Amino acid sequence: MTASSVDPKAAHPPIPEAEQTIEAIHRGKVDAIVVHGPGGPQIVMLEGADVPYRVLAERMSDGALVLGAGRNILYANRRLAELTGISAEKLIGNTFESLFAADGPQPRENVVTQARLKRQVGTLPVSVWMSPISMGGGSAMLVTLTDLSIFVRAEQIAIAERFARSILEQATNAVVVLGLDGRITHASWVAEQIAAQPPVGCAFSDAFPLDPQSSSHTGALERLSRKNLDLVLATKPFHGVEVKLRDPKLSARSFLLSAGPLLNEVKESVGAIVTLTEITERKRAEEQQTMLVAELNHRVKNILAVVQSIASQTLRTSPSLGAFNDAFTGRIHALGIAHDILTRTRWVGIGLGELLTAVLAPYRGADEARVTLAGPPVLLPARTVVPLSMAFHELATNASKYGALSEPMGRVEMKWNVIENTTPRVEMVWSEAGGPRIEADARRSGFGTTLIQRVIQSDLDGNVGLLFEPHGLRAVMTFPLKVLAEFDDLSGVSDQTS
Amino acid sequence: MEQCGYNLRLYVAGETAKSAAALKNLKKLCERHLAGRYTIEVIDLMKDPALAQRDQIIAIPTLIRELPEPLKRIIGDLSNAEKVLVGLDIQPN
Repeated sequence: MTASSVDPKAAHPPIPEAEQTIEAIHRGKVDAIVVHGPGGPQIVMLEGADVPYRVLAERMSDGALVLGAGRNILYANRRLAELTGISAEKLIGNTFESLFAADGPQPRENVVTQARLKRQVGTLPVSVWMSPISMGGGSAMLVTLTDLSIFVRAEQIAIAERFARSILEQATNAVVVLGLDGRITHASWVAEQIAAQPPVGCAFSDAFPLDPQSSSHTGALERLSRKNLDLVLATKPFHGVEVKLRDPKLSARSFLLSAGPLLNEVKESVGAIVTLTEITERKRAEEQQTMLVAELNHRVKNILAVVQSIASQTLRTSPSLGAFNDAFTGRIHALGIAHDILTRTRWVGIGLGELLTAVLAPYRGADEARVTLAGPPVLLPARTVVPLSMAFHELATNASKYGALSEPMGRVEMKWNVIENTTPRVEMVWSEAGGPRIEADARRSGFGTTLIQRVIQSDLDGNVGLLFEPHGLRAVMTFPLKVLAEFDDLSGVSDQTS
Repeated sequence: MEQCGYNLRLYVAGETAKSAAALKNLKKLCERHLAGRYTIEVIDLMKDPALAQRDQIIAIPTLIRELPEPLKRIIGDLSNAEKVLVGLDIQPN
């Protein structure tokens, strides 16, 4: 049958048919209607036309609602029910304003505003968008609510992440964050510098291969395979194990390996923070301190022995308590000068001229003319400072008591030179003039001359010649200028004088 | 086609609920009251909306009784069997 052959009655259905159509539509007995448009008939589905939009609204991550003319809620989606904690059925009919905290900002039309959505407990920050629409001749309002707590939380997380990364980047230690699988998720700048390969994404043991023999805890690391080490670091606290890295470039450096759990907001371990603290300098300082304490102990003992020796020898050769007092005080003073110099020069040594100037200062007079000093620059090893100070003190004391310096016009001339040979030697000549004439048979054999001979010969492995010439004493002293073992600087004196 | 037979045409819109219900209800009614005396032509307007012009279809589903004349039409899912029997002027077996 064609359109042209349609029964006129059918083409113009009687009113009862029209009523039937309306009734069927009204009673929901049809699910589509045919619309005759310019392009021909089109099928318009009645039932389900709004289904896609309703499904979309129900699946939205934002809250959505429709307000009627009296700003009462006509529709609320599932998300709004979740946000408020009130079922959609119970929300329908309530006023829009009842959703929000009374003391907070109220949403306005066509503007995205921030408000506080009431919940069963507390409020939730939301942004609200609302816009009027025309619906079936009436007006309604479409509203969406976005949960800002997610963004606030995301921002907090981002801030925390930036904060943590800043700490990592500024950290002076190698710090890495491990996941529970032992793989590195974050690394500080220092960690990246000492890692064998770019550390993020690697297992700890691959990024930082350890020398198992270097652990300060016997067997602590040998027992752990590389894989086990990663798991132990990621899951167990690990404190203060001294290690070295296998990388030859870093083998001279020592590190302290520590690990602690990384906890999430509910205190569950989600990994570990592992630090490699470099302790190379600390270890070196500790070793140096141990060495210095031992050295100090040794030196104190030696000084005490020297003082004891000087006291007993001076006492033995002093005719009176007053003479003892003068001689002992002078010698201890010379010892003090020597130690001052050693301390000032950090036990490196001192120039010979400087040492002579310091020790002989009390005897040289205002214009320093009474004792003249002449010789090339010579750097004396530290060990020679005390013996030479004692010897110079004895020579000067002798001269001031009995020799050239006991007379106003007396003079002393100290000359020295370095004799270059296989082993360079220093030759010093102490010449007195202008003092009392020395008789041919006069000899000095007190502790002073003994001390001079012993310190030059024994402590400095040198020679000394004391010539008591008529016009004054002439002392010729030579000793090798070689690098001598340290810490023996005082032992010779104590041995020889005790 | 027998003159005394019922020549029926059902307009549907795909597999929608009312269309499916209408076809189901129609078959059940015909088997019960018109067994051996009917033919049913199902026309899916979703496939070809232009076919709606043939019987001036306004709503879907719509049943057209082409024969016996006069042409009659019933709109809806045919769930009320009594109304359908009256509307189609069927004399039950």
